Amino acid sequence: MIDVRDLALDAPDGRRLAEGLSLAVSRGGSLLVNGPSGSGRSALLRALAGMERPARGRVRVGGREVWPGGGVLALAGQVRLGFAFASGGLLSNLSLRENIALPLRFLELAGADLERRTEGALARLGLRAAAGLRPHAVSASARKQANLARVLALEPELIFLDDPLEGLDAADRAVALELIQGWSADRSCTLLIAAEEPQAFSGLEAERLLLSPSSLALESP
Amino acid sequence: MTYLARLGAPVRGFLEFLGDQAHLVLRTLRRALRLRLGQLGVVAGQTKLQIRFTGLDALWLVSGTALLLGAVTLIQAFSQLSGLGAEHYIGVLMVLIILRELGPLLTAVLVIGRSSTAIAAELGAMQLNGEVDALAVHGIDPYQYLLLPRWVGVLISLFVLVVFFDTAALAGGFLVAKLKYAVTFGFYMDSVRQTLSNRDFAATLLKILCFSGVITFHACHFGLRIRRSQTEIPQAVTKTVVSALVAVFALDGLLAALFYF
Repeated sequence: MIDVRDLALDAPDGRRLAEGLSLAVSRGGSLLVNGPSGSGRSALLRALAGMERPARGRVRVGGREVWPGGGVLALAGQVRLGFAFASGGLLSNLSLRENIALPLRFLELAGADLERRTEGALARLGLRAAAGLRPHAVSASARKQANLARVLALEPELIFLDDPLEGLDAADRAVALELIQGWSADRSCTLLIAAEEPQAFSGLEAERLLLSPSSLALESP
Repeated sequence: MTYLARLGAPVRGFLEFLGDQAHLVLRTLRRALRLRLGQLGVVAGQTKLQIRFTGLDALWLVSGTALLLGAVTLIQAFSQLSGLGAEHYIGVLMVLIILRELGPLLTAVLVIGRSSTAIAAELGAMQLNGEVDALAVHGIDPYQYLLLPRWVGVLISLFVLVVFFDTAALAGGFLVAKLKYAVTFGFYMDSVRQTLSNRDFAATLLKILCFSGVITFHACHFGLRIRRSQTEIPQAVTKTVVSALVAVFALDGLLAALFYF
């Protein structure tokens, strides 16, 4: 599903991140990217999803050339992606419900199907009460959950989760973790997670990639 | 060599800017043709919002400005030309000054001040908050969801605002003409109608089309270039205003030369 060759990313401070990274994630596979803050976990996820141009290297997703190429727009209509952002990523002029429904409406889903998937995702993440509020009116934790709910409703074949558990309380963490384990077990869904603390995902069947500001290592589960 | 490079840098920057504008326009048009029926509702919703902010909310401002401008134009004309039979040239004055030139131009200036600044700031904030990336990664084409509705919304709004501007300016002119020379409404409108030609309508429509593109795509260009910090937003807004104003005045001169020179 994902094929990366000789990647290098530019950090805002001019450092090179993930220098020389090559990896492949098969369809239905899972990859957990660990590393300390500043090691380029989020940047790597963003580059693989086509949102950030790497300094060097080739990225192919679902057989499509993302880099060098048109980035995420090259995947439009070809690979259904879901991305849960570590922060932000929700449209500030839409309610949480509208944020979750928007990608579905763009997929031309309407009526009962649209409502079922939107309301189902809101209920699963415990966001029913806040569904009518805009992102600025809810807690950071609810925004994080709404990111996950959007991914859940979209039913994507490739999922990127950027620090999905950070800042969640125990109850929300359990709900999110259960959801992530479900995606990991789903053979039709490829999952990439970036997280600082790998312990939280100790039960997850996934390949692990350890990033550090200067080196990286790929481990098998 | 360094000196030559420094000399050529502004030219290169300008050409890059023109290239980016052409890229934005062509990509938006191409993506517009790829819109599917079920997506039209989402895009139409965004377009309606843009029409509300750019057109509806500016209606009183534009009409009030035009009413005063129409009245002042004829007051000044009468004060200078009263001995030369100015009342016979009311139509010519109104068509030449207001309908041909100031109507589209001043409306565009007001829309730049109100809406192109808002578009640049909004897109900049969306860019910083990761909203543009979030749209793209979830299969929502930013050209279709952000740029196209803004362009169509500004185009429709500008057209409506120019119609209101011209109507209000003619009304303001008529009030002065009636009070000063007791000109009847029929005489006034006949005078305007005799001077107006199809060429004026064509020139105005072309100006509206060009100005709407300038207003929208200058704002999108500077707004979407914001990458790192909130302090870039006011800079982008300022650049949008200056750049769009220069472009609108330059295009206005070009079109005037094309149609009337």
